[in-house]
Amino acid sequence: MSALRRSVAIAAAVATALPALAAAPAGAPPGPMPKVEGVFFSGAWEDPNPQEVLPAPGSPPVQRVVIPPAPLNEKAQAENAARRQAQQQNRPTELTGGAACMPGGFPGMMGPVFPLEVLQSPGQVTIIAEAFAQVRRIYLNEKQIAFEDAEPLFWGHSVGHWEGNTLVVNTIGLKDSVRVGGAPHSPQMQINERIKVTSADTFEDQITVIDPVYLTGPWTWTYKYVRRKDYKINEYVCEDNRLYLDPATGQQKLRLGE
Amino acid sequence: MQVFRSGGRRAIHLGVLVTGLLAAGAAIAHHSFAMFDSEHQVKISGQITKFDWTNPHIYLFITGGEAGAEAKAWTIEGASPGILNRVGWKFNMIKAGDKVTMVIAPLRSGEPGGLLKEIKLPDGRIFNNGGFAGPSTISLKDEP
Repeated sequence: MSALRRSVAIAAAVATALPALAAAPAGAPPGPMPKVEGVFFSGAWEDPNPQEVLPAPGSPPVQRVVIPPAPLNEKAQAENAARRQAQQQNRPTELTGGAACMPGGFPGMMGPVFPLEVLQSPGQVTIIAEAFAQVRRIYLNEKQIAFEDAEPLFWGHSVGHWEGNTLVVNTIGLKDSVRVGGAPHSPQMQINERIKVTSADTFEDQITVIDPVYLTGPWTWTYKYVRRKDYKINEYVCEDNRLYLDPATGQQKLRLGE
Repeated sequence: MQVFRSGGRRAIHLGVLVTGLLAAGAAIAHHSFAMFDSEHQVKISGQITKFDWTNPHIYLFITGGEAGAEAKAWTIEGASPGILNRVGWKFNMIKAGDKVTMVIAPLRSGEPGGLLKEIKLPDGRIFNNGGFAGPSTISLKDEP
């Protein structure tokens, strides 16, 4: 086979194997970055008073956001009491949640215990929590899906739109195991956020949980953040928590030895 | 085991940190710290046999113990690499064979394990274990 014939044969084979590539318009130049809407708040953020850093002796106490107790209705309180009783009677044998290296999910991940990173791209805001490498994607200017279509997820289904300097977000569809403060939730729960960019270096997230099945009214708190300039988010893979449940007591124990 | 009582100001500080831990629990509950006794911290010295720089916690394995006590293999838990990077640690600053001194909150079970409060490296540098672990009640400054 001649060199020319061979290259024609190879080109034909490639074109057959990669129809999508073959069909792409030849020579179309890459486009410019589309406009990103809203107020700029991409970058790394942290709690104004990081709790994770040991304060110098004599320095003022760490100020932190206190999540108020959930306004649980009678049904929620009864279910929680029944669950506690069941746990006492049937000792758990397997670790759950963070102890089992599971991520906390939304809205817990928005608590800036570790730094967060915000990425803004056309039609989307992505928020990455350093702890457990949690990622949530907020799709802009989309209609929220129906409750019955929302597959339960760790970070739910989030849609948002900008109102001035505030990103208004609605989230539904969280897994039953994703709980803040032990509060149960129903498939009709929704969480509204008003993420207000208060300055170039500060923003806050007012979170309101609404659940007609388990709460008597809205449950609201606000996280605050300050920009951490030039900070690079650490990788975080929960590899091994070295924990197990002692079958005799049901208590967590630390696995000792290398 | 010698008991070190914390001073008044330190005690208040510790209380604040413990409260902070409870509130942070939803987001970061790798485990309860109840298994460690922060009220009765001890100083142990020995040789590093292994250093695991992993999430959700780092681990230091040393052979040694309190002054005068029989040498044992200890498993000491530290904070996460992210926290420790932010308080000045480096992933490669501790190696097998290093002789170190640590202040730890020992396991309540009496087993040879604990939660790190502070560590002194062979080059004399002292590092704490971040805010969640809380302050050391024993100073390593005058440690040789």
